[in-house]
Parts: sequence; structure tokens; C-alpha cells
Amino acid sequence: MRRVPAPVDRGSAPGGYFGRALVADLPHGGAERLPLSEQVLRSCIGGAGLGAWLMHRLAPPGVDPLAPEAPLAFVFSPLVGTPLTTSAKFAVVAKSPLTGLLNDALASSHFAIAGKLTGHDALVVRGACEVPSVLVVDGGRTRVEPAFPLWGLPAAEAERRLRERLGAGFRVAAIGPAGERLVRYATVSHDGRHAGRGGLGAVMGAKRLKAVAVRGAGVKPPLADPEGVLVAARDLRERSFGPATAKYRELGTLANLLSFNAISTLPTRNFQAASFEDAPRLAAEELHELRGVARNNCASCTIGCEHIYAGRGGSRARVEYENVFALGPLCGVSDPDATLAASARCDELGLDTISAGGTIAWAMECAERGLIDAPWLRFGDADALLRALDEIAAREGLGDLLSEGSRRAAATIGPEAEAIAPQVKGLELPGYEPRTLQAMALGLAVNARGADHNRSGAYEADLSGELDRLAGGEGHAAAAIETEDRAAAMDSLILCKFLRGVFAEPWPEWAALLQPVTGWDMDERELKRTARRIVLAKRLYNLREGWTRAEDRLPERFLSEPIELDSGRQATLTPARLGGMIDAYYAGRGLDPDGRPEPATTAELDLDLFVRGASP
Amino acid sequence: MGRPKASLEWHGSTLLQRVVGIVARVVDGPVVVVRAPGQELPELPAEVALATDAREGRGPLEGIHAGLAALGDAASWAYVSSTDVPLLHPAFVRAVLRAAEREDADVALPVAHGFRHPLAAAYRTGLLPEVERLIAEDRMKPAFLFERVRMHELDEDELLRDRDLSRADPDLLSLLNVNDPAEYERARARSAPAVTVRRFGALARNGAGLEPLPVRAATLGEAATSAGVTLDRHVVAALNGDQISRDPDYPLATGDAVAFLAADAGG
Repeated sequence: MRRVPAPVDRGSAPGGYFGRALVADLPHGGAERLPLSEQVLRSCIGGAGLGAWLMHRLAPPGVDPLAPEAPLAFVFSPLVGTPLTTSAKFAVVAKSPLTGLLNDALASSHFAIAGKLTGHDALVVRGACEVPSVLVVDGGRTRVEPAFPLWGLPAAEAERRLRERLGAGFRVAAIGPAGERLVRYATVSHDGRHAGRGGLGAVMGAKRLKAVAVRGAGVKPPLADPEGVLVAARDLRERSFGPATAKYRELGTLANLLSFNAISTLPTRNFQAASFEDAPRLAAEELHELRGVARNNCASCTIGCEHIYAGRGGSRARVEYENVFALGPLCGVSDPDATLAASARCDELGLDTISAGGTIAWAMECAERGLIDAPWLRFGDADALLRALDEIAAREGLGDLLSEGSRRAAATIGPEAEAIAPQVKGLELPGYEPRTLQAMALGLAVNARGADHNRSGAYEADLSGELDRLAGGEGHAAAAIETEDRAAAMDSLILCKFLRGVFAEPWPEWAALLQPVTGWDMDERELKRTARRIVLAKRLYNLREGWTRAEDRLPERFLSEPIELDSGRQATLTPARLGGMIDAYYAGRGLDPDGRPEPATTAELDLDLFVRGASP
Repeated sequence: MGRPKASLEWHGSTLLQRVVGIVARVVDGPVVVVRAPGQELPELPAEVALATDAREGRGPLEGIHAGLAALGDAASWAYVSSTDVPLLHPAFVRAVLRAAEREDADVALPVAHGFRHPLAAAYRTGLLPEVERLIAEDRMKPAFLFERVRMHELDEDELLRDRDLSRADPDLLSLLNVNDPAEYERARARSAPAVTVRRFGALARNGAGLEPLPVRAATLGEAATSAGVTLDRHVVAALNGDQISRDPDYPLATGDAVAFLAADAGG
């Protein structure tokens, strides 16, 4: 039966927006519509930026991330649904059960398009169900259905069955067993992609929400200049086939592995080394020829970065640098079959591969040092890695401790374990060695989400050749600010970061993309200011939740143990050097020495917009 | 020579550009170029500091004075080099500086091939007042300085006990200078340094390029050409797994391993 699009009242929303968010309350699924003013939309754009505003507005101060009243938001952007390549993205935003701070995890899939076309710029879920359930948002209508048969299934299987039951027009975001058991780094999955970092799957699990299913009402919000959007989309599409994206297209992000190994930035055995003797066995340059079987695109993407490799016994695994680094060198595992199997297992269980690998690698070192009693858990032991993943998702045995993440687990053991826990603010480090990438060291230390490479791309400055990557200083701080601002802009527009190399002049080019969609006369300067506002909006939320400067740091290991490069040079990062970079970062961001916005910064960036909206 | 040595060409660079680049690879402080009053120099990187001899033609002590004065307290040690050493190797500079620090002398002076080499030596920057006194006394030879300070002479055996140097420059060609047109022509006839190049990621087409390929290249730009890589904004090079550069004029030395990587490290 053909569905008739329901009329959507957008009021006076700008192009690309519906001008409202849907706020659904569990367990009954009753919903209200939260108007989003043009001032809010222009100040936050969408995605991570709008998500930060929603959390300021809707999350009760001091809320437990796993409490029913903690909101969980799926946030879209003005570009979603346009023909602009890589724009089918959304941000899942909540207070993180891993960090206790604001967390936004981005992913690309048809869920973004279907979710937005329900007639909302964001879907927010509050409350909790008494039994495992599914929230169904069908156009403007919401309902809650029981999900007993789906509970315990991998997210992909739950998604498949749910679409079979509801109809193919529905798109589904679901959690796996790890989310159901409140593993603090559980993911939210859809179309085989994952909103991976910060444990948002546990937030869904705490609400006993197996999945959110969405179906669009069939009406897109008008664009201010449809022909202009088409022209921009054609141009961007052409450029997306060029050299800037060759790495992603030809080998995927796993191409980083051997390069990073060559320059001593490949974290190995819980960051005890920065190069891995067996790196070639896991390298894209080798594996691609031997095992590459398919390449996938996200929805509305012309890059196609996702490379699928064949594993032992005919299995298939999605391969990216971060999952291979975390489940390979970081755990001392060199068998590609084992690493691919561990990666696939994380996807089935719904575990963030970086936090899972980081926490297990930390536990391996603790076991070696006799800090925990787990003689079976040793670096390089692939069976132990797979066993640990299963125990984590089941919260059984040692897994119950490890499911809390390395920061909480280390706190139960003592200072020696805490010194080597590879985390900032509770979020495990990605595959970038901070001692040999010292702009990145700063980015990892100060970012609001914790140690993260998608919110701070400061490694770009380290690898540009324009700074000495082993001698962090004020120039590194300036570079960290710029890359963080760029990430905030891309995460709010939203565009895939793999596209960033095609923009020779990103700020004016991004502003130019926004103009025909929204009709705003936003220029480069306003967009930069908006990005700075979004970065500080996240910091303001964290300040509200009790963050202090003491959390802008790196684990003691990085500040006391040098790393020797193949050239013989020592890479050393001292507390004084990192502290100096943090001071320079605060000064560059208009923060006081405690990391709080100065009054002039608050005024310039209109940060009161967030403070005003802090209470529901 | 008939021409300023600083501007003589050697495998795509001037001698001055090459020496400045090689020294900069080793030291962690500023590089100072001392010139005669009014002397024109080839183009140099913006971060290179310039100083000028107080008086022209007064010998090396005048230049050492100007260089030490320009450094001020920016460093404890200065490596002093002449311009005309096309085969200067970073390992030589490193070995001399290491010896200076190790021996706690005021000057670490190589003595090799039958000569002392005051313009391939390390000087404590605190020697500036002593140098000023000598100039005031019109005693303009470095030998007069050596009489007054704590010296450590580095003979060939001691130099080559440095394993990096003995591997990179066993014949101590770092000390080979060019004093006349014939010597310059002989230096030009020498091959560019033997280095290896590798390509990673999408630059390693179907895996080809991952193994180190021996080539001759005096600069990063020449190495890129040999590797079939264009040094644009999408590509960077890592030198010996250490510093990152995309400067085509970056000088290479024998034994260097160059890795070409995608500039975009995201993922």
C-alpha cells in the first residue's frame, strides 16, 4: 500500500530544517515536540552542536547516565537528505556512562535520512521501559513495542528481524548484548555501522531499549536554493573521487597501520612500545590483496572507505585501522585471522573496539605485572583476547571488571594500575602514540569527549612536517585548536571527515555548502565562531557536571616513560611540556587557567545560549 | 675559487643550503649563518638566523665570534661548520657534539686526514668573552683560542668509535672541503648520497614499493622523483622514521631511509 505523505508543519524553519525535535518518553512512548528556534539552529547547526544544546536543555544536572531520566538524542543536520556526498550522518548524544561527561558518537547510515524524514531535526528518548522494548517512530507517531525475542541478539540480527516485522521502510538503530548488560563502552549499531565511542549502547540498555525504529513521513524540508545544492553536490561528488580520498578508497583506514609503524606511532602492548614487529602481517598493503573481498559505501557516500576482508572459515569482517590497531598490536596479537575474528566479535556483541582493546591490553599488562590474577591473559594470546571479549559482554568472571572500562577498573586496583590505564576522562586512547605526536597529545588531553581522534585531529599538524612532532609547544596548541574547531564544524554540518582533504579552503567552502541549503548568509567568519562555540558548549556541559582542569591530562605513563624511535631519538613528553601546551590551549580558546570561559569569551560566542537552556 | 663558495651548486642545492639543512637536522637550537659585510647569500629557510662579520677578511675567529654572539644563551654548544663541505653527514655533527658534551671540554676538535678542523668542531657558547679578548689582541687564529681553553681533540679512531658515524661515513668524507675549482669539480662528480625509499598505503600500488628501494638522491625532492611520488599536499615523507617533511629541498645524506606516506592520517 502506498503511503501518503503527511503534511508537516515546519513553521518558519530555515531550509534543511523542520525546526523541532521529537522528545519521546518511555515506557509509553508519549511524545512532545520541542521547538528549535532559528537562533538555536544557526548557533549550533546540527549533529554534535545541536546535540550539545539539547543536552544542556534536557539533561537534568548531575544525572546518572544510566538513570531513566538521562536523555539520549539522535541528532540530524541540515545536510541530511540532500544529495551532498557523505551527508547521511547523525550524532547519538548523551551523557557518557564511561566518562560521566558529554558524549557524541557519529555514524553514517540510512537511519539518518529516515529519522530526519519523520519530520524532526532530532529524536530524543527519555525514561525507561519495564521490559525489553523497541521505540517505533513512524512519521509523527510514536509507540513502544515489546522486544523479548530480540533481547540477547546481535544488533545486526535484531535490526534484520525488526525490519522484517515492521517493513523495509523502517530503519533501525539497535544494541547488542553488551549494551543490554550495560557494558560502559557498548555501541549503537545500524546498517552495519556503529556509533561507537563512549558507551551510548549502555544508555539504551539502561532504558531496556533494544532498538529505535524510524520511518520517514516522506516529506523533506525545502531547501533555500535547490539548484545551488545540486550544483554543489555535483562538484563535491567529483572532488570526492580525487587524490584526497585515494587512501580511503583504495585501502581504507587500515593503510595507517604500516605507516604509523614506520614512524613509531603505532601503540603496541598497551603503549609500552610505538612499533610492532609483526605489523606487516596486519598491514592493508599485504592483506588487501590476500583477503579483500568487498568494498562498501555508507548511505549517500561516494568514497567507499569500508573494506571487507575474508577471515578464517569463510567469515567476513569490516576492517578499519582503529579496530585492527586495538585488537592487534595493542594486545600484541599478530595473527590477522584472530584480529579479524575479534573485530567481528566486537560488532556482534556491540562493543567499541578501541575501548575493548584498550581495556584488555591494560588488563594484559596488569596480569603480567601480577596486579590482577588472570594467568590466562597474556599479550599475543589470541584465544585470551576472544575469551576476554565474551566475558566482558556477558559481565562474567574478569569481564565484569573490564566491562567498566580501564579507568574504573584501575581505580579498584591501585596507583600502579592507574598509571598505565590508557584513558583520558575514562575514554580509552585511539591508535595515535602521544609521545611521538605531541600536538595530538594535547588534543587527546583536552578534548571534552576524552581521548579521541575524531574530535581532535591534531595528528594532522604532527604529520604535516610544519611542526616538530617530538617537541610540543605553542604552535602545537594553535594547531590543536584549529583541528578541533574543524572537527566541530564537520560533526555539526555533518560531513564525513574522510572528505576533509578535498577542501583546500575548508571554512569558506563549508559555509558555501550551508548557504544554498539553509538560505543563511553565513560566511567563513561566522562558521568559525560557530565551531568555537560548539567546542566550548561541550566544555560548559562538562563543567556543569563537575569537570575540573585535573581531567585535562594524560596518564602518568606518557609523562614519565620515553619512547625510543628507530632513529635513536627519544620521544619524551613531560608534565611541564604538556602543562605548557594546555596553558597555551586555554589562552587560545579564551579560557581562564581553570579551563572556564572568560567573560569576554562567553559574550563573544554567546555561550549564555546554553546556560539559559540548562533546565528543562 | 673565483665564485662565492656558498652559492656553488651540488646535486640541486647550493653548498650553503645543504650545510644549513644538514646541521639543522641534528641540532635542536637555532642555525646561524655568518656572512661577510654586504655578502649576498642564496635563499635560506625563514628560521635561519643571519649574522655579519664585524670586519671582513679577518679569518675564522671573526666568524666564530659573530655566530656565538648571535646564539647568545639559546644553546650551550655550537657546532661550527664551513660552507664548503658537500659530504657533511648528520652523524658527523652528532658525533662531535656528543663528544663535546661527554668530555666536558670547551672545544671538541676533530683531527683527521692529518689536519685539525676548527671549522668542523663544537664550541661551548660560553667561550664568547675569550674570543672577544683574542680579537681585541688581534690574535685571529683559532689556534690561539685552543691554547687558552680546555680542548678535546677527536682523532679518527675516536670519531669512528661512534657507531652511527662509522656506519654512515667511514672515510670521514664529512671533512672533505673544496678549495679550488678542481676540488669542486671532483666533488660534483661524486654521486648523490645513497639512500632508500619506500612507499606506504595507497602510494604502494598493489604492495609494490613497500620494500626499501636503493636510489641516489641529495634532496627529498630527488628521492620523491625516484620513488615515482609527487610531493604535494596529499603526501609527506618520514626521514629515518623520525622527522616528517614535505620540503623538496630537505637535504639527504648517505644511509637515509625515506618513507613516503599519505598526508591524511585519519581513521
